[in-house]
Amino acid sequence: MPLVALSELIGAPVRDAAGVAAGRVREVAVAPQDHPTRVAYLVVRTASGERLLPGEALTACGPTVRAATRADTWERYALSDGVLLLKRDLLDQQIIDVHGRKVVRVNDVEFESAPTNSHVTLDVVSVDVGARGAVRRLVQGVVPAFTARALLARIPPRVIPWSYVDLLETDPARRVKLKIAYQGLSQLHPADIADIVEDLPPAEREAVFETIDEEVAAEALEEIDPDIQVSIVESLDSNRAADIVEEMDPDAAADLLGDLPQDRTGQILQEMQPEERQEVSQLLEFGERTAAGRMTTEFVSVAEGGTVDDAIAAIRQFEGSREAVATVYLLGAGQRLAGAVPLVQIAVSPAGTHLSSISETPATCPADTPDKEVAALFDKYNLITLAVVDAHDRLAGIITADDVITMLRHRH
Amino acid sequence: MLLQRRWKSRLLLLAAVIGPGFITASVDNDAGGIFTYSLAGAQYGYSLLWTMVPIMVALIVVQEMAARMGAVTGKGLSDLIREEFGLRVTVLMMAALVVTNFGNIVAEFAGVASSLELFGISRYLVVPVAAAAVWLLVVKGTYSSVEKIFLSASAFYVCYIVAGLLAKPDWAAAATATVSRPDTAGIHNYGYLFMVIGLVGTTIAPWMQFYLQASVVEKGVTPRQYRLGKWDVIIGCVFANVVAWFIIVACAATLFASGNHQIRDAADAAQALRPLAGEYAYLLFAAGLFNASLFAASILPISTSYVVCEGLGLESGLDKRFDEAPAFYWLYTLLIVAGAGVLLIPRFPLIHIMVLSQVVNGIVLPFVLVFMLVLTNDRELMGEHTNSRAFNIVAWITVVVMIALTLAMLVTQR
Repeated sequence: MPLVALSELIGAPVRDAAGVAAGRVREVAVAPQDHPTRVAYLVVRTASGERLLPGEALTACGPTVRAATRADTWERYALSDGVLLLKRDLLDQQIIDVHGRKVVRVNDVEFESAPTNSHVTLDVVSVDVGARGAVRRLVQGVVPAFTARALLARIPPRVIPWSYVDLLETDPARRVKLKIAYQGLSQLHPADIADIVEDLPPAEREAVFETIDEEVAAEALEEIDPDIQVSIVESLDSNRAADIVEEMDPDAAADLLGDLPQDRTGQILQEMQPEERQEVSQLLEFGERTAAGRMTTEFVSVAEGGTVDDAIAAIRQFEGSREAVATVYLLGAGQRLAGAVPLVQIAVSPAGTHLSSISETPATCPADTPDKEVAALFDKYNLITLAVVDAHDRLAGIITADDVITMLRHRH
Repeated sequence: MLLQRRWKSRLLLLAAVIGPGFITASVDNDAGGIFTYSLAGAQYGYSLLWTMVPIMVALIVVQEMAARMGAVTGKGLSDLIREEFGLRVTVLMMAALVVTNFGNIVAEFAGVASSLELFGISRYLVVPVAAAAVWLLVVKGTYSSVEKIFLSASAFYVCYIVAGLLAKPDWAAAATATVSRPDTAGIHNYGYLFMVIGLVGTTIAPWMQFYLQASVVEKGVTPRQYRLGKWDVIIGCVFANVVAWFIIVACAATLFASGNHQIRDAADAAQALRPLAGEYAYLLFAAGLFNASLFAASILPISTSYVVCEGLGLESGLDKRFDEAPAFYWLYTLLIVAGAGVLLIPRFPLIHIMVLSQVVNGIVLPFVLVFMLVLTNDRELMGEHTNSRAFNIVAWITVVVMIALTLAMLVTQR
C-alpha cells in the first residue's frame, strides 16, 4: 500500500481521461460526515477556474494524479463549510495528539492509496509532526527527488495515527459539521486534559470546553491553573458554565466562582440547579483561605445508632468524591457530630456491628480556622479527612487530604 | 474618596498587566543603542533631539500591534507567520533571525565586558560569570520570577536620567530642540543623515516583536485585559525614549560642548564624561551600560529560542522545565555559550559578525513588519481587534519609512 504525502499531492499535475494535463492540485478535501478518512475530492486549479475532481474518479495518485473522467465534466468548485480542507485546516496548524497527550503542529499529512474496483481510494492514515515532514517540504523542488528521498529515509518518522488526532476548530457550527467532538481527549485522565488545555490558545480552550462532556469538563477544570480556569469560564456562556460548575466539587466550584467578577458569579449561580447553588453559595460566603473555604459539603454520614450495614449502604449511595469516603461520620440529634469511623474499620468489622462501638473521637476544627492551622492538624494527627464544625458542634463539611496537598503546593 | 479608590484599583489592574511592553521597550536601549545615542549627542549636540518624538510614535505603533496580536490570538508571532505564510517562509525567517540575533548577543556581551573593564576587571572573568548568571536566571526561573527581575533591570535605566541631570544641560535649548522643526541644512550633510538613520535603525528590531508577542502570550493577557495592556506598551516606549533623550542630552551638554566629538563605544562615552560631568556621572553611565548589556544579553537568546521553537512547533516557554522544553533551553544555552565564547577568543574577527548581523537584520525587518500589518488586518484572526483605518495609515507610513531608512543604512555602510 503506497503512502502519499499531502505536500507531494499539492501542486501535482492532474491528467484527465484523455491524458490531457488538466491542471494542478490545490486542495484535498475530506467530508467527515460521509467517511471519516476517505478523500472526498481534490480541488484542481485548471485553465477554466477551480474544479472538483471526485475521489471515485481517481485512477492514480502520486507525482502525477490521473482521473478516469474528462476535465470538462468536473464540477466548478465552491467553498463548503462541511468539508475539511487538509491544506488550509491541517497543514501547519495545531492539533491534539491524544496518544502522546500534547499539542503539536502538523508538518505533513500522509495518505494510503489503495486500488478499489476500477479506481484508487485515498485515505488519511496519519499526520507527520516530526522533522521528516518538515524537511520533505523544505527540500521539495529545491533538490532532485532522488536526493530528497535518500535524505528523508535517514530521518526517523514521527507520525500520529489519524485516529489519535483531535482537530481544533473554534467555530461551533463547523465543529458539528466536521464531527469534531474531542472523543479522544475526553478519554484521557482529567489531569492530562488539563495539561493539554493549558497549552492551547484561549479560543481553542473555549472550543474544547464547549464541546466535551460536562462531567469530564468539570474534572479537568479542577486541575487547571486558577487564572486559566477563570478565563475559560468567563468565555463560556452562563448556561454552559453553570452545567460544568454543577459537576465540580463544591469547594473547587466555590473557589472558582469566588475568583470571577461578581456579576458573572451571580449569572452562573442563577443558572445552576437549586441544590448545587445552595451548597456553593454557602461555601462562597466563607473566606477562601479558611477551613470553610476549603471544605466540601459532600460527606458520608450515618445516624449515631447505625450499624456497619447502614454505613455500607450510605457509601453505596454517596455521589461525592472518592477521597471523602475515607471516613464515615456519625451524627447525633440535631446534626451534632457524634463520632467518626474510618473506612478500614468498616471493612474489617462483621455485618451488624454497631458503629458506636468502633467509632473514634473525630478530629475537628471551627469554620474560620486558617489554612496554615488546617495543614498543621493534618500533619500532627496524620489525618485523611478533617471535620469542620459550626458554633453548635454541627458538621458543616469536611476537608480531605488531597485538598491540603493542593493548598500547600499553591502557597507561594 | 470613591474617586481615589477607583484610581487605586486601576493602578492595581495596570500593575497586573505591566511587564512585556515595558521590558521590551527598555531592552531597546541596549549597548548598541546607548552608543548610538551617545554619539548623536557628542557629534551633533541638541540638534538631533527632534528625532525622539517620531521615533517614539513609530515604536509605539509597531509594539502595539505585536502586543495586541498576542493578547487576541494567544499565539506567538512565529506561530502566526507559520499558520498564515507556511513552513518555508517561517524557516527562512528563523534562520535569518538566528544570525542577526547572534550578532546582537555578541555585542551585548561585549558591552558587559567593556563596562566592567572601565573598573579594571578582566573580561576573562566578567564574561563567563555574566553568561553563567544569565543562563541560571532563565533556566531556574519561571515566567513571573524572570519578569520581576527584568522589570527591576528596566527601572535601573533611571541612572541615565540622573546622569543627564548631573551633566547640567541647557534645559531650554534641549526642550526647544526636541519640539522644533529639524534644520533643513542637515539634509545635505552626509554624516548628519547617517546619524538619523542610525538612531531610527537602532530603535525597531525584528527580535523585539517576537519577544513582546511571545511574552504577552506567556503572561496570559486576555483581550479584555488588553485595554489596559496597551498602556504597558505606551508607558514602556515613552520611558525608553525619555532615557534615550537624557543620554543624548548628557553627551551634548558635556562632550559636544567641550569639542570632544569622537567616541569609539558606549564605555568610551562614560570615560569621556568623567572629567567633564564628574565622577558620579561617569559611574552612572558605566553602571547603566553594564545593566543594559546584561539585560539584553539575557533577553535576546530567549527571543531567539521562542522564534525557533514556536515556528517548528516545539515546546517553548520560561514556565516549562528543561526536560519539558529541551529544544528551547538547549538553543538558549548554545546561544549564550557561543555568544560569550567568541569574546574570549583573542583576535576573533568580531567586526565581521556585527556587519553580517546588521545586514541580515535590515533584510528581515521589512518582511516582519509587513507580515505584522497583514496579520493585524486579518479579520478572521483578529475579529473586532483589527487595525482601524487611521492606525493603518500611521502604521504603513512607519513601516515604509523604517524600511527605507534601514535599506539606506545598509547601503551607506558599504
